[in-house]
Parts: sequence; C-alpha cells; structure tokens
Amino acid sequence: MQFQQQVNKAITKRARWQYGVALSACLMSSMGVAKPLTLNVTGKDGKPVKEAVVWFESKQLTLKQNTLKQSYKMGQKDRAFTPHILVVPKGAEVSFPNYDSILHHVYSFSAAQPFEFKLYRDNPQSLTFGNTGVVELGCNIHDWMLGYILVVDSTYFAVTDEHGKAVIDMPEQLQSELVINVWHEGFANLDQPERKQLKSLPNTFTLTYQLNQSLFELKEDFSDEFDDYE
Amino acid sequence: MNNSTKNIFVIPSMCALFVGFSSVSSQSYAGQHKGVVQANWQSTSAYPSWYSRGASVNRFGQGEDGVNISRALVQSRFEIGSSWSAHSSLQYVPDPDDKVGFTELFVEYKPVTRGAYQPQLRVGGFYPKMSLENPDIGWSSPYNYSYSALNAWLGEELRAFGLEASVKRSGKRLAKQSAHNWQWLAGVYKGNDPLGAVLAWRGFAPHDRQSVFNEALALRPTAGFRAPQLRKQAWQIEPFTEIDGRFGYYVGAHWSYQNRHDLRAYWYDNNGDPGVVNYHTGQYAWDTKFWSLAYKYKITKRTHLIAQAMSGNTAMGFSRGVDNDFDSQFVLLTHRWQEYRVSGRIEQFKVKDMDHWAFDPNDSDGGAITATVKWRFSESWRFGAEFQYLETKVANRADDNLPTRQIEQLWRVSGEYRF
Repeated sequence: MQFQQQVNKAITKRARWQYGVALSACLMSSMGVAKPLTLNVTGKDGKPVKEAVVWFESKQLTLKQNTLKQSYKMGQKDRAFTPHILVVPKGAEVSFPNYDSILHHVYSFSAAQPFEFKLYRDNPQSLTFGNTGVVELGCNIHDWMLGYILVVDSTYFAVTDEHGKAVIDMPEQLQSELVINVWHEGFANLDQPERKQLKSLPNTFTLTYQLNQSLFELKEDFSDEFDDYE
Repeated sequence: MNNSTKNIFVIPSMCALFVGFSSVSSQSYAGQHKGVVQANWQSTSAYPSWYSRGASVNRFGQGEDGVNISRALVQSRFEIGSSWSAHSSLQYVPDPDDKVGFTELFVEYKPVTRGAYQPQLRVGGFYPKMSLENPDIGWSSPYNYSYSALNAWLGEELRAFGLEASVKRSGKRLAKQSAHNWQWLAGVYKGNDPLGAVLAWRGFAPHDRQSVFNEALALRPTAGFRAPQLRKQAWQIEPFTEIDGRFGYYVGAHWSYQNRHDLRAYWYDNNGDPGVVNYHTGQYAWDTKFWSLAYKYKITKRTHLIAQAMSGNTAMGFSRGVDNDFDSQFVLLTHRWQEYRVSGRIEQFKVKDMDHWAFDPNDSDGGAITATVKWRFSESWRFGAEFQYLETKVANRADDNLPTRQIEQLWRVSGEYRF
C-alpha cells in the first residue's frame, strides 16, 4: 500500500515534470529560442552596403523590455553626430551628450519628432521618441553636421557594418510572417524604407537583402573645425 | 617705466585674471568662454615699431626683444533664448602700453529655420566675414602667427559698428537638392571713418596686432605731418571713430560648394566725406572703398589652399590732398599632419600715391614669405615657430634719412595656453 502510494507520487511527480517540459516546449516553440541571424545587405550591384538600418516587424515579435529601457545616446564629438545613425524602438528615451567644449544647437524638423535645444558640454538633454519615422538632425551653429535617429516599431534591429553585415538575435521558430525593413541615408525618399514580406527565416539563419534602388553617393566629409566661420 | 618693467606687473595680473576666468568654469549654462594666452619671443627689427613712432613695419621693433605676452584673449558667447546670442572678444596686448579692450561685441540673430533660406542679423561692433585666413578664436589665424598684410590691415583699421543682415541659402534643403550654398550679406554702419590712414603713412605690414574699439594708433610723424596742409591731422589714428555723420555700407556674397570650395566677395565703402575733420581729435573722414575676394580650396582633407586679393582707393582732405590706390594679395598653403600644422604664405602689397602733395609721399610696397610650424601638444598647450622674409619699400622713410627699402629676416617662437 505504502509502496503503491510512493509509486503514485512518483508518477504524479513525473507527470508534473513532463507537463512542465511539454508546456515549456510549447512556449519555446511559440516564442522561439533566440538565435543570431546574420544579415547581408547588398546594393543593386551586389556590393555590400554599410550603414544600412535593418529591422523586423511581426505579430509574433514581442517588444523586448530591456531593449526599450536601454539608454540611447546621440552624442556630438569633434563637430559631428556620433553615432551618425542611431536606431531606437518607439518610446525610447535618447540623451544628447555634447563631448565637445563648444556649444551645439541641435534641431530637427522631422514629422516624427520636431525639437531644438542648445547643448552645453556635460549638460545633456533627453527626449522620448514616441513616433516612428526618420528624425534628421542638424546643428544651427555647425551647418554641415548631419545625423539620423530612426524610430522603429520593433526591438529587432541593427545597422550594417563596413562589410554590409549585421546580426540580430531572432526567435528560432517563427510561425507567422515577418516583414524586413531596410533604410539607408542614400535613399531617394528618406521617409520610405524598403519593405519585404518573408514567410520564414532560412534554416541557415543567414539572409541576404538586395536593395531595390540605387543609392545616392554620399559626399566625402571635408568639414574642419574652422568651417563655422560663416 | 619701460615696457619690460611694466610687463613684470602686467603679465602676472593678466594671468591671474585669465586663470580666474578659466577656473570659474569655461562653460556655464548661460555662456561659453574660450580663451588664449600667447607668449612670444621674436627677433627684432633694426628700427623701432610704428607705434613707437619708428620706421619698422614689424610689430616687434628695436628694443622689443625678449619674451612677452603677445596677446591674451577671452571670447564669450551668451545665449539669449533660442535665436539670439551675444558675443564678445576681450583682449590684452602689451604694445605699446598694455591695452585692454573689445575687438568685437555684438548680438546675433540666427533662428532655426525650416526652409532653405535662413535670415541672420548681427548688431554691434564686428568684423565683416570677408576673410578666410582668420577663422580661429578672436579672429586669429590658425595658420601663420603674423597675419597677411591684407588681413593685418583689416584687424588694425576696419570694424563695422552697425547692423549686418544676411540670408543664407542651404542647398541641401532646396526642393531640388544642390551642393551649392550661398549667403548674401549687407551691412550699414557708423564709425570707421579714418580707415585708410595707416596705409597712407605707414603702408601695409604683416603682423597680428588687432585694434580694440577705443584704439588710437601711433604713427611715425613723417615730414608730411608737419606740413601746414596736414596741421589739423593728429599724429595718431583713431580708426573706429565717426567723423562725418554719414553711414558706411558693405555688401558681400559667400558661395560654397560641397564644403570644399569657399569663395567670398565683398565691396566695402565707408562712404567718408574727405572734407570733414574733427578738430578736437585731429581725425579726418577718409573716403575709402575697396573690393575683396577670398577663396579657400580643400585640396585634401588635410591640405588647404587659401588666397585673397583686395584692391581699393582711400582719400582725405577737402581737395583729396591725400589720395592713394592700394592693393594686396596672398596665397597660403597649409597642411595638417597628426598634431602638427605647416603653413606657408607668399604675399605682396602696394600703396600708390595718386595725389600731387609731393611733401607727403605715400608710396609703399613690399612682399613677404612666411613659413610656420605649429604643434598642438595638448588641448590646452600649443607651440610653434615662424620664419618670415619681409621686404618693404616706404617712400617717407627718406624723411628721416633712412633708406626707403628694408629687408628683414624675422624669427618668432610662440607658446600658448588655451582654455
């Protein structure tokens, strides 16, 4: 009898454990285990494109809280925005530290987030970006300064490196369709990223995206510290 | 008390003042303060400098050898809301008698504008931005220690006290984007009536001494000064004073292409009435007008070419008794390598006497080759050396039985602290 009870307990325990495993497996399959997806962005000519912004949208991709809460910085150093392009999820707060010893007067007329402020060193201002879109940045003191903040409705994003490569941690199993968005500052219409529907991600977890448009050639930056004498 | 004795007292007190400025905080949330203290050793001229009433066109003339503070400066910017700011440049120079004053003081209106066109205003006392050699702190040159004779003259005798309005057109903001940027400027001002007097009696001189607002520039009293026709003229020039009550004006245009080519064209006319004299100060209104064309080309990111040319006329007296044409040109090549900058400049300048007052010869001409190495040791400390071959010929040197022609080889070693 006692033996039977012990066996029953053991069976119950195993059943609970099995149930737990089954539930976890079920959850895992819906959420997916994160796995790094390698992306290669190429131009129409097949050559790698650096500084392209890539992000994924899908019903199944829930917003990662730690990505939302991350501290985002758009600095100004040696009279240039650093980074040149910053991608943030909608609702993120961005601070604007000025690493130069001179004043900057940063502004944007973008529909997504128009603003302006004068920035002294060691007195950063912050702003919450609540609307998606491209926020083009300028400086009213140093006219040549140009930077972008891309506000996207996703926490799955990256910017391609020198070799046109980016890595995004994606769920291993995706059951619903997803949309890949690609943006580059050489686009003819900066407010219109390229979008493409994907049924699924390739098993190799390597994806190549070829741009549909040719890029405007970006001009070499000849600015120096004396250009503000104007 | 001679100059070097005075320096013993002045240098520590100036240093205390500037260190005081820098230690307060170089940037508070209401203003931004930048400064420089530059110490100097230079080989001297055979003659005393013009402000010591000598015949030298070198800033550091006979008896001025030794180390001195060639300039100490605080440049400030104060924010007044979003679109307005106030700017000042306060400097100290030891020559000739420890002068402290403003070289610029103005308010600026520069709103953030949405479209391609941006209106701007400057009101106060300021330099028209016609030159590309002097974009550094306090209108100094980042290239050579001594400015070209052309810009040294502007620093010495030219300042607008009035209003400058401009419109800037940003190519990238046009509906059809363009790599061409434009700015059109116009200024109206008072003061600056004696402009041109220094050219008449001393001639052009490559140096780095800028005049402050209430400046009185001493000159060598040439024979002309002693003639009855010039008896009302004081033996010094107060370049920024108003004599005839008339407004002067200038117009200018800036063009830049891909942030690589920069061209600035100006027409400056002080609209002086040469027949008007202030008997109290001994200053005439000079009728001075000139055009200036400045060009900068960034050959590479680190190698830049800068050139400027100027040509004009200046006259004073009821019958334009002193009437001179003048012109000057320079070409400057500069290269930056790591923390070093090497700059070479070649220039010429000429004042041509057009009047019939033979007792007051104003002819002068000359040229210079200047080579400079500057080393940015740290953010705060910079050092450098300069060599200048300078040849001048000034007709009125003969008044003192001096040879009219002078050839000089000048060395200068400099150290500066910036904050």
